[in-house]
Amino acid sequence: MTEKVITVPNKLGIHARPAAMIVRVAVEFDCEIWVESPADRVNAKSIMGVMTLAASGGTSITVSAEGREETEAVEAIADVIRSGFGEEMI
Amino acid sequence: MLFKGIPASHGIAIGPAFLLKVEQLRHARISLESSAETEQEIVRYRNAISGVRHDLENIADSMGDVVEGRQILEFLLLLLQDPTIKKEVESRILSEMVNAEYAVSATLRGVMEKFNVMADPYIRERVADVRDVGRRVIEKLTGTEKEALKNLDQPVILVAKDLDPSETAGLKPGQVLAIVTDMGGRTSHTTILARGLGIPAVVGLQRIAPEINPRDILIVDGIHGHVIVNPTSEELRYYRDIREKFQEAENLLQQMNPGPALTEDGVRFELAANIELPHEVELVRKLGADGVGLFRTEFLRLIQENGENEEDHFQIYNRVASEMMPKPVIIRTYDMGGDKFRTGLDSVREANPFLGYRAIRIGLDRPVEFSIQLRAILRASVHGNIRLMFPMVTHVEQLRRLRDLLGMVRNDLTAGGIQFDDKMQVGIMVETPAAVIALDLMLPYVDFVSIGTNDLTQYTLAVDRGNPQVADLYDPFHPAVLRQIDTVVRLCHSQRKWVGICGSMAGDPLAVPLLIGFGVDEFSVAPSLIPDVKKMIAVVTTHAAREMAEKSLSIETGLRVRALVHSYVVGKYPEILLDENDWKTGG
Repeated sequence: MTEKVITVPNKLGIHARPAAMIVRVAVEFDCEIWVESPADRVNAKSIMGVMTLAASGGTSITVSAEGREETEAVEAIADVIRSGFGEEMI
Repeated sequence: MLFKGIPASHGIAIGPAFLLKVEQLRHARISLESSAETEQEIVRYRNAISGVRHDLENIADSMGDVVEGRQILEFLLLLLQDPTIKKEVESRILSEMVNAEYAVSATLRGVMEKFNVMADPYIRERVADVRDVGRRVIEKLTGTEKEALKNLDQPVILVAKDLDPSETAGLKPGQVLAIVTDMGGRTSHTTILARGLGIPAVVGLQRIAPEINPRDILIVDGIHGHVIVNPTSEELRYYRDIREKFQEAENLLQQMNPGPALTEDGVRFELAANIELPHEVELVRKLGADGVGLFRTEFLRLIQENGENEEDHFQIYNRVASEMMPKPVIIRTYDMGGDKFRTGLDSVREANPFLGYRAIRIGLDRPVEFSIQLRAILRASVHGNIRLMFPMVTHVEQLRRLRDLLGMVRNDLTAGGIQFDDKMQVGIMVETPAAVIALDLMLPYVDFVSIGTNDLTQYTLAVDRGNPQVADLYDPFHPAVLRQIDTVVRLCHSQRKWVGICGSMAGDPLAVPLLIGFGVDEFSVAPSLIPDVKKMIAVVTTHAAREMAEKSLSIETGLRVRALVHSYVVGKYPEILLDENDWKTGG
């Protein structure tokens, strides 16, 4: 199991488009990946899950993975989030 | 494996099974009964997902560089393949044992509710996307079945729990060899339409649909109501042979199928329908009947909770008559009593209800109520070709009283300035030996008669056909019954009155040639029997029919009369060919 804590850096947080970007990266990996906010823990490959997480800008979230290439998976997701999804930062 | 159901539409078919889940066109919850069924639902669901994915990808490709559009589609694709949603749908199918359509819509409803309560407006707006994906999946689920039916590479035997009449109507005989359903009966609309389309059908099999796998080979014997799943080579050989014989004879009949009922030598007979409820008219028209030969009105008694209401009667008669226009509709006044609708009217328990207070005996006893029905019939007569018929007339004085009552109602209408057809034909049912023997005295009062063979047989032979201990004595081919039919026709024609027959004998294929031979002018049968009777009329020449009818009058037993007709039509009428053993052993 690999884990990483990241702060959502963009103003609008993880709304529909960012959620799609996360899921698109997640489905490339074979392992189980989760995204966890203080409120909930969801499957990173589920668009519905990531959206309903409704993580706003500045929220601290945990990305974790287990299985094949789990380290790479966590890194890749963390990168997408850190990039701020190409949006305006806080 | 042999299944027995109800023979609904004649013919023999051999071919591969095609399982149609038309019932799932409705989004309603359908409870599944076996794990085989739930597995099948999951396969359907997964196939629908890949189908929709394919569609969405095609749309995305066609968008080229429209970035916004591509993003939306990519979002839809992610939703479509969302593992959490997939898992929930599949576990609903498995644990709740429901159809895929229901599981999808129930799951997505939950998703939409979650989205709706989100604070983020960007997310709330995505509810529309969820709805879009759901709609596409459900359309794919329901559509693939129908699509597949349109794009068959070979004709199939349709297997379903049930079929809607509209779905049956859309089937093409070349594509669908036969219909096999768990539900349905001999007179359900699907059955009747299958007959109209000439597609063999066995219905009411109850539990066959879950037992059949796609591409199983089936033999459908629509004559006996048998379905054989994966037959032996011997069974196949036998049925191929029968199918060939059947088709040969069928092809000959096809040539004269649409249009009027004509005998082989081109003599036309009126072929009308007996109906019970107004909406049956639609079917009667589709079947090309020459009219309604018997419109039973007893149901009106049931729909009028607060007593007789002229307007209720009028609306119904008006509707049936105007829809049948210009073809005639024979309205029979209330035939309550006997075994029908013993509601309210008869507080006295009768020892012999069939010999008791029934039909016009009640009407004449309660002329005020009865004239409500008569007024409505007369008023409706200007809107169509209505004929009036009185049941159970046994005494001439009854006829005189009926005439007087009708006269009073006419005067009332005239006084009130209300229009009616003063040339409306008035007739009587002939259903007792009294009416037959005294018919010459009754005929001056009427324009036509219609023979009710069920009651006539029962009263003549003194047999209650509902009593199993004596039911085998009930036989409309009994010489006493045949001789009376012959008498009625002769008397009517000698006074230039036409004569119809509306009992179930008119729909018995073996009776049809005899009735033609006796010279009956009109046949009125249940709508479902119209195609068969038309075919039977088509294989008979009037000359041969007359000979048979004449001969039948001196034959001792009903069974021998049947044998006489059978020997004539065998080979000409395929259903008879196959029914031979049934009646020989049964008779």
